[in-house]
Amino acid sequence: MLVKYEFLKILRKKSTRIVMAVSLLVTAFLFGLPILQFQTYHQEGVIKGFEGINYEKEQTAKYAVSLTDTYITEAIREVQQLFDNPDYVGYDGHERFLIENAYWDNIAPKEALLGMIAKNFANPNESVGYNSLPELDISEGVNFYRARQEKIEKLLNASSNGMSEKQKTYWQNMNSKVDEPFQYGYYKGWEVIISSFELLTFALFAVCIVIAPVFSGEYQAGTDAVILSAKYGKTKLTTAKIIASYLFGVLAFTLHVIIALGLPLAAFGFEGWDLPLQIANTTIPYPLTFLQAALIQLSVVYLVLSALIGLTLLLSAKMKSPYLVLTVLAPVLFIPLFLSPNGTTGVYNLTLFLLPYRATVPELGNYISYQFGGIVFDAFTMRAILYAVLTMIMLPIARIGFKKHQVSA
Amino acid sequence: MELQLQHLSKHYGTKYAVHDVSTTLSPGVYGLLGANGAGKTTLMRMLCGVLAPTFGRICLDGQSIEKLGEDYYAHLGYMPQDFGFYPDFTAREFMRYMAAVKGLDKKEVKDRTEELLKLVNLHHVADKKIKFFSGGMKQRLGIAQAELNSPDILILDEPTAGLDPKERVRFRNLISDFAKEKIVILSTHIVSDVSYIADTILMMKDGTFLLQEPMAAVTDCIRGKVWELLVSDREAAEYSSRFSVVNLHHENGKVRLRMIHETIPAADAITVQPSLEDLFLYYFGEEAGTERSESGYVSKI
Repeated sequence: MLVKYEFLKILRKKSTRIVMAVSLLVTAFLFGLPILQFQTYHQEGVIKGFEGINYEKEQTAKYAVSLTDTYITEAIREVQQLFDNPDYVGYDGHERFLIENAYWDNIAPKEALLGMIAKNFANPNESVGYNSLPELDISEGVNFYRARQEKIEKLLNASSNGMSEKQKTYWQNMNSKVDEPFQYGYYKGWEVIISSFELLTFALFAVCIVIAPVFSGEYQAGTDAVILSAKYGKTKLTTAKIIASYLFGVLAFTLHVIIALGLPLAAFGFEGWDLPLQIANTTIPYPLTFLQAALIQLSVVYLVLSALIGLTLLLSAKMKSPYLVLTVLAPVLFIPLFLSPNGTTGVYNLTLFLLPYRATVPELGNYISYQFGGIVFDAFTMRAILYAVLTMIMLPIARIGFKKHQVSA
Repeated sequence: MELQLQHLSKHYGTKYAVHDVSTTLSPGVYGLLGANGAGKTTLMRMLCGVLAPTFGRICLDGQSIEKLGEDYYAHLGYMPQDFGFYPDFTAREFMRYMAAVKGLDKKEVKDRTEELLKLVNLHHVADKKIKFFSGGMKQRLGIAQAELNSPDILILDEPTAGLDPKERVRFRNLISDFAKEKIVILSTHIVSDVSYIADTILMMKDGTFLLQEPMAAVTDCIRGKVWELLVSDREAAEYSSRFSVVNLHHENGKVRLRMIHETIPAADAITVQPSLEDLFLYYFGEEAGTERSESGYVSKI
């Protein structure tokens, strides 16, 4: 009964409806942008929107193959043979590339695949494309997966990473669980989703705005005296307020998630959900499919939401007005947006990766790990633990804050 | 049932709002009088457990209200001064919400809500949102919610503030109806309101009880100090500047003055029966000047 009324209190406010409407529109716009801006090319020029998406889907579907060493060797050989014919090759003063039909017929449909293969053989942090493939020695065939392993070793041992042996072992163990050979295919929808999680920060903030008055709104409106002097004002009502806030927060955020995930998946398709993450970046250590990664990251984002609701309620219980609550929350959420990591180790970077905004970015290929004594956690696990613990700490403080609130003029 | 206030104090830094107040309250209507800033609201908030005392404690039948917790609040009905409502709730929703916060049985909630809404004459607007209510309607809803749990201790802070005379009479009658076998503490600066319904007067000044007397005997201390005198306009002005004039009334070209003074102010002045208003002004003098205008008196103090 109390939960129902507390939920109604949140829902009935005009400000709730306005904030939610604006936030849903912003989310729809942000996640719809990759659809509106999508464009691909064929020999006749640019194809945009759904036509372009369908074209790319058709082209990539032709290369939904298992990436065995034999297949990869053959794919590289084809590119090398094309480069052997001077009529097909252009040069812009910096690099060689294939031109006209040689490019449009043989490279364009599988450029992403060829780029991924080329990058696998390149040094870490080196940006290369299909035109680096002619430099590879394939006389004895290629060992794509050994090259991947070597690249990962280089990454782990790079002095700039400053990883401990424990951390290296942790990542090596994780890597060893990645299935080989990779299955390639179309995964554009999932790529958009995984690279856009941070845009949900606005939805997180919108939820915080709506629940900021849960306690402080009572102080501001002057209803605190009446409810706190009622039998359950300091006990069951506090619990009901917390439950109603979470109920609203989870439902409102889920509505945003449905839009955020629904739009790209509706436009780009569900295809690719069962493909390994490594076809987007071969050095990703997580043995996950796109769907698994998206779900795990979504779970982390829900835990961030949970902690932010906890923090909002805590501030709301302690502060006299919802506006004061938001003056604290806004910097917590948005200042990290302007801070860039300068590596993957060190207190600054490791802290930055844990802050709410950064925690919405999966950082799949960045080998971010946290070591406590002999125990190592990856970014997903560390964030999940941190935000779960923060929630558990902040809720009792919020409860006590409201219970101990002093009604004064 | 007894509500004991034991050396109750509320200090804010070096200043105190309530200072070392001790008394025992048993069922009856208590009129808590005092000028603005006397400490009435602070005292009431402490009694309601929404403001912690700096020193001292409040006990219900010997048990600290802090320890009693929910058991104490179950006995309590509180209508604070200028308390807010949920503008988007209807009167019925607000009552049901408050009933849930007060822990009423589900079966009881509906009947009690309807009964009280009818009693405060809001049943015909029960489904109207509170944001469309007038001040008087909100006040009536305020007392209805305070009475939801049929409390043994009813604390009403300025319940008649902002009401027109007709509504105030109605309100007084309502409070009288609710007051049976309860401890009712009614704070107001409209003295006439308590004079009708209070059994005991508690007068506060500077955070302490100045006076705690049964209504029947409360004005005894100023008996023989309240005077009436019929004078000309010119003399009226002169008396007003020299004495505490509590009322001034024009009668057939003359002015009837009511004054408080220790000794006879003029040879033809006659002593009259003192009222609670006289007592209030006797104690609060200029502090009470602003309040008096609401009670219909012409202040010259």
